[in-house]
Amino acid sequence: MSGSRLDESRSRRSGFQFAELLKVQGKLALREPYALLGGLALPAVLLAVFGFIGQANPGNVGSTGLTIIDVWTPTILVLSFIFISVSLPNTVVRDREIGWLRRVSTTPLHPSKLLAAQLIIDLILAAAAVLIVILEGALVFGASLHVQILPFAISLLLSVAELFALGLVLVALVPTQTVASAVAGVVTFGLMFLSGLWVNPAQVGDPLRTIMYYSPSGAATRAVLDSAFNGGPSYAALLTMAVYTVIFGFVAIRYFRWE
Amino acid sequence: MNAAPAVTVQNLVKKYGRLVAANDVSLSIHEGEIFGIIGPNGAGKTTTVECISGLRAPDSGSISVYGLSPQRDRNAIREFVGVQLQESALPPRLRVGEAVRLFASFYSNPLEPDQLLESLGIKQFGNSSFKSLSGGQKQRLSIALALVGNPRLAILDELTTGLDPEARRETWSLIERMRDRGVTVILVTHFMDEAEKLCDRLALINHGTVIALDTPEAIATQAGGSRVRFVPSQPVDEQTLRAIPGVNEIERKERYITVTGTGDLAGFLINALAAIGVRVTDVEARSGNLEDAFIKLTRDDASTVGKGVQR
Repeated sequence: MSGSRLDESRSRRSGFQFAELLKVQGKLALREPYALLGGLALPAVLLAVFGFIGQANPGNVGSTGLTIIDVWTPTILVLSFIFISVSLPNTVVRDREIGWLRRVSTTPLHPSKLLAAQLIIDLILAAAAVLIVILEGALVFGASLHVQILPFAISLLLSVAELFALGLVLVALVPTQTVASAVAGVVTFGLMFLSGLWVNPAQVGDPLRTIMYYSPSGAATRAVLDSAFNGGPSYAALLTMAVYTVIFGFVAIRYFRWE
Repeated sequence: MNAAPAVTVQNLVKKYGRLVAANDVSLSIHEGEIFGIIGPNGAGKTTTVECISGLRAPDSGSISVYGLSPQRDRNAIREFVGVQLQESALPPRLRVGEAVRLFASFYSNPLEPDQLLESLGIKQFGNSSFKSLSGGQKQRLSIALALVGNPRLAILDELTTGLDPEARRETWSLIERMRDRGVTVILVTHFMDEAEKLCDRLALINHGTVIALDTPEAIATQAGGSRVRFVPSQPVDEQTLRAIPGVNEIERKERYITVTGTGDLAGFLINALAAIGVRVTDVEARSGNLEDAFIKLTRDDASTVGKGVQR
């Protein structure tokens, strides 16, 4: 009897702990807005740029019946996930480098909770990015995003899972914050290129097209695009993302260090 | 003093690759005392306290903290052991009050964060971010984080390194107040004045082994010896001085002769010189201090280690 009461008070306490932790990590995310700027502001601006290009050159893209803003909305969503995930090493590697994670590990709180709180904040950011981009696209620029909710949501979720897992791989492997910023920059550009931001994979030859299709960001963009306009994502794209999530998750867990 | 020690370390060995950080460290710490760990850089002080706090697993040997094992009972130990780590920072934009409240939420029976900040004299910095704090304020915050869980044992590693003299004195009085509240304190330091002033007992660690364990006064008198400076009425040669019981070292500077050694140095010296008709004037005697003891003990230890290697 007293045991269950003890468990109850312990679980209530750990709930309180986690709420406190989320609050603090949330405040820090607002004060160190790498993820906020990259994940929310930049996509909003990019969308506006494509929106105005679209308004200046109205009409179809190719012969798809879609406008420029229609075509770019899904890609910009994936970009915002990329920015949020590469911001992960910036804070977590820094927290490890300065000994903060080690300091926390001397308390009853396991530092994995700190990481979990950070991931939840980033998930909230990703959800906010989806809302902002879709609403901005629809309300300001009249992008038509007629999607089947379930495949679209699955594609978004897998994209987030895969790209966040990649962020955690960087956290695990990169030794210092300075290196983290440099690596994050390179990775961001690589992922942006592979997502088809500059070159549409449909318009390039093999093997580049295959590489782009089966890259983390390329598969994500393809799945989100297809679930937006082609009735649903291809299993190949979904499977690709699932496999990346497992591999990245495994590497991140295998090589993760708290100090 | 309680019969059962708060902390016992027996034959602790910890290696990092080929580097032996702790080589057979044994010590026991009483409840409610300030226990100092001193020693040269790289002697194994930090490794020892990291093993006590459960941050590192010993390669061999056993550690008991209030009857629990830091490795097996990690979770239980974290509840009542507060740790202040050497070179550990907070996220730069985390604020003082937030950090202390956050840490308070980790423990089941924490101190009241505002009162704690008040007693540490940093309440007015509650809304300051970590990066805007001075060195002394950071150290006090670090102490606050080690204490907010209301620990029975506080482990403080190089607490006053980088502080100005006034901040050091304030920190010392804080630690004394902690002890007065019944907290057992392990203090790692390389400041001898700090160890001499604060610690009830000391372990001197060198090359991963405890080479002295006693009260600061006892260590200072045993090994530090005393020093007598005087002016002789006529020249005295080296051999005469060397023959006096307890004399170890002789130093001459202008008219002054400084003799260091052990026992009742001044008494023997004056008597022995009087016997050969030499009067001494301007006598200045100083009993041994911890710093002398530290240097002597670590040097003696180094010479034996050196011989070991040659053989």
